[in-house]
Amino acid sequence: MFDYPNLGARVAATIAIILALFLVLFPFVWVFLESIKPPELGARPDVWVFTPSWANWQEVAFESDVPLNIANSFFVAAVTVLISLLCGAPAAYAFSRFRGFSGARYGILGAEMMPPAILILPFFLLLYHLQLIDSRIGVIAAHLTFVLPVVTWFLIGFFDEVPKDLESQAMIDGFTRFQAFYLVILPAVRPGLAAAAVFGFVLSWNDLFYALLLTGSESRTLPVAIAGFWTFRGIEMGKMAVAILIAIIPVLILSHSIQKHLIRGIGGGAVKY
Amino acid sequence: MNTLDRRMIIPPVASALALAAGIASAQEINVIIEEVPDYDIVRELTEQFMADNPDITVTFDAMPFDAMRDRILTSSLAPTATYDIIIIDNPWSEEFANAGYLEPLDGYIAATEGYDYDDFVPALADISVVGGATYGVPYYNYALGLIVRQDIFDERGLETPKTIEDYQTVVADLTEGDFYGAAMQPQRGYKIMEEWKNWLYANGGELFDADGNIIINNEAAVTALEQYIETFNAAAPPNSGSWGFDEALRAVASGSAATMLSYNWMLPALNAEGGMAGDLAGNFALHEVPGGKAVLGLWSWGITANSENKDAAWEYISWISGPEVAKQRVIMGGAPVRTSVLNDPEVWEQGFGEDYYTVLAGILEDAAPLSSGNNAEELIEVVGTELSAAVSGQKTAQEALDDAAAGIERANR
Amino acid sequence: MHLKYKMIVPLVLVLSAIMLYPLAFSGWLSFQDYRLTRIDEVHPVGLENYRFVATDPAFLNAMRNTLTFVFGAVTLELILGLSLALLVQRLRIMRGFVRSILLAPMFITPIAVGLMFRFLLSSEIGVVSHYLGLLGLSVDWFGPQMALLTIILIDVWQWTPFMLLMFLAGLEALPKAPFEAARVDGAGPWLTFSRITLPMLMPVIVVALIIRALDAFKVFEYVFATTRGGPGDQTVTIMYFIYQTGFRFFRMGEAAAAAVMLIAVILVLVVALVKFSKIDRSKG
Repeated sequence: MFDYPNLGARVAATIAIILALFLVLFPFVWVFLESIKPPELGARPDVWVFTPSWANWQEVAFESDVPLNIANSFFVAAVTVLISLLCGAPAAYAFSRFRGFSGARYGILGAEMMPPAILILPFFLLLYHLQLIDSRIGVIAAHLTFVLPVVTWFLIGFFDEVPKDLESQAMIDGFTRFQAFYLVILPAVRPGLAAAAVFGFVLSWNDLFYALLLTGSESRTLPVAIAGFWTFRGIEMGKMAVAILIAIIPVLILSHSIQKHLIRGIGGGAVKY
Repeated sequence: MNTLDRRMIIPPVASALALAAGIASAQEINVIIEEVPDYDIVRELTEQFMADNPDITVTFDAMPFDAMRDRILTSSLAPTATYDIIIIDNPWSEEFANAGYLEPLDGYIAATEGYDYDDFVPALADISVVGGATYGVPYYNYALGLIVRQDIFDERGLETPKTIEDYQTVVADLTEGDFYGAAMQPQRGYKIMEEWKNWLYANGGELFDADGNIIINNEAAVTALEQYIETFNAAAPPNSGSWGFDEALRAVASGSAATMLSYNWMLPALNAEGGMAGDLAGNFALHEVPGGKAVLGLWSWGITANSENKDAAWEYISWISGPEVAKQRVIMGGAPVRTSVLNDPEVWEQGFGEDYYTVLAGILEDAAPLSSGNNAEELIEVVGTELSAAVSGQKTAQEALDDAAAGIERANR
Repeated sequence: MHLKYKMIVPLVLVLSAIMLYPLAFSGWLSFQDYRLTRIDEVHPVGLENYRFVATDPAFLNAMRNTLTFVFGAVTLELILGLSLALLVQRLRIMRGFVRSILLAPMFITPIAVGLMFRFLLSSEIGVVSHYLGLLGLSVDWFGPQMALLTIILIDVWQWTPFMLLMFLAGLEALPKAPFEAARVDGAGPWLTFSRITLPMLMPVIVVALIIRALDAFKVFEYVFATTRGGPGDQTVTIMYFIYQTGFRFFRMGEAAAAAVMLIAVILVLVVALVKFSKIDRSKG
């Protein structure tokens, strides 16, 4: 598998990689098996062979609020990302192209890193004044606090890589600067936009902290629902496993599609490779 | 303006008038409730209420315990309530009543014919009386009892332990190989506090003395904690220092532990045919906790002060907690709160047998809530953290309880 | 208004509404006695909340746990991530496939990760504990010796992939010439790594460290899913402390003061890290 000259090194490297793959994959395999274990075997750690049962999946699909939670998570993430792109793309372009914004770049990074602990208190109080607790609007606003900076930061890196000649040429052709941005540059960074959108979506979809404190039964998102399978009825392990899979599978597929753009985005133009 | 006017009239009269005049318009009552076995029963019974009262729709917002406190808070802070009815855990009673979240129910209770408020077990009903006003009526109790594998006790000719010392000996003797005498719940915070306080009572201790002085670090408390730790080391499963309710229950249900201190209504669940205990169903019995005085848990029904449907809310509460339905609820497996229900032969027969209800009545006779006061929630967390530190060997019993005493003082600042 | 300002107007407006205003509110809150259950009695108390929180053993303990957590987790992730990146870079077959799998953990919701490990490591029904038991090993994952380390390890499982992602890209972008020269000069692998790879990778390492460390300060989900802060107070992190103070005990003023102090600590660390990395580079 490896091209090390030394046989010992090749063997050791192979073992290390296989071990890493195992450690990463094992929890996924386990949670899948748990989801199809017949409920009466749920707590047995030593049973690996059994007739699969779809009882847990059926219960989650038809007798729980999980479908509503999925819809909420999807709605919140989609709207958050949409707003983030609308506000973030022009700003990222400005930060990338115009003088005088070098501090702003790091301001954006600072906003991205703001601990939720300091924002959650005012959010909670403000949203209750506005009567927006248990509403998806409140969660969207909260998620914007980290998705919007991330998306903006992400896009700066992509705009940086677009040659400046592109809009100069467009302006010579009679476009205004904004038209050049809108009609020429934006299409040129389409992969970046897609990657930023997906990354922002994943961040919003995965959030527990804000959603835990700002949602109620109508607006509850999937991560909060997952945490809620641990009740005084005992842990409903099989159903929780189903909910976990529902929460992670779409995200794994989505993020796989943007892997190669992630680096440039996360580096945000601060890291030049 | 409407709501203000209605407050002027004695509420039940208003509702009677409304009914008499036939102007009862459709009302929706929202209830926040915890997802526990008793809720399943309440939900089922409520179908009947809605069939009988087509003008009132009861909607439940069921959730895990963790989510409830801040939900209730936001609903109560808002100009109009999200929840017309909340269920109140006993540590919250004073806090919520003093914060003005709850509507006094005395007027309603007095005006509801046949409600028989005095029938509630006094120790339970009194929890919701704050400053002379009644802010809640009992929903279900979760007083702690000693759940044992009676088959093992009988087989070995063991007596039911009456004191903590007996209990210590018995569970240590029962521990053998990978079978353990006691499945304990030393998880930080609420769980260990709820369990250990029974040991504290058995030693004659309390959190505060009659004058309100903190006595949680006195000799009785230190002894209680030392006994608890000894027993944990001698008779609880290995690596169970972070166990809470599910783990301990599973250990007992799966036959790897002989006893646990738990909610009395876990007994029927353990003994249920085809239930969680499988073939062991029927072998479990409930006794009073060693020492006799038990930690009392209670959920009560309350109406929020900012609800716009108080009359309808009381209509529902008085129905679900009234003598008739309370009996039906207990027969279906709910945890009793009324004396008449506890002593009803019909309940014994259709429920879980006379023994269970007699023992439960005995538990309720001498039981006290986990904690009270405005900061009960914080106090439980603070003490529970120190207890867990002692059990995990980070502090001695005395150090932990001294720190707990200091923590209570901070919590009550 | 110049176009460049027009283009940032939406961003500035939205961020002001959702961040600057809340931040200012939080600052104000930290000087008030603001208890949610006594909302009619809110009044300013000057620095009292700061004085109280700064001397609260529970806060100091949470801060210590958090710093231990951040330091432990990020260091392990750095070492593991760099090692894995060096390995994957030398992989001749299935590199894309291996990389995709190894990156997977960083995309999934942390509460799911926390819960999966809670049950995998459970002393009663945990698969890991069960098979370690068959080997005669008994590990109390959530006990007093291990709990914080277990939470660190959960973080390592989820976030080493982030380091891997950064370093793989960094390695691929390195110029080839210095490595050729080293090979011609007969430099061994260790010398090549320490004299060429590591210095050239330094900018990426610093950025990855800062991003990851700042993110690690936010740890909440793993604690919420597994130990709830126990045993004792060994795994109470600063986020959990603030959650508890604000939303279980309803003491908003003190929670805000704690949050402000958290930001101060983070700022000091970031400045120190940036300074340190600059010194390091100028020496190199």
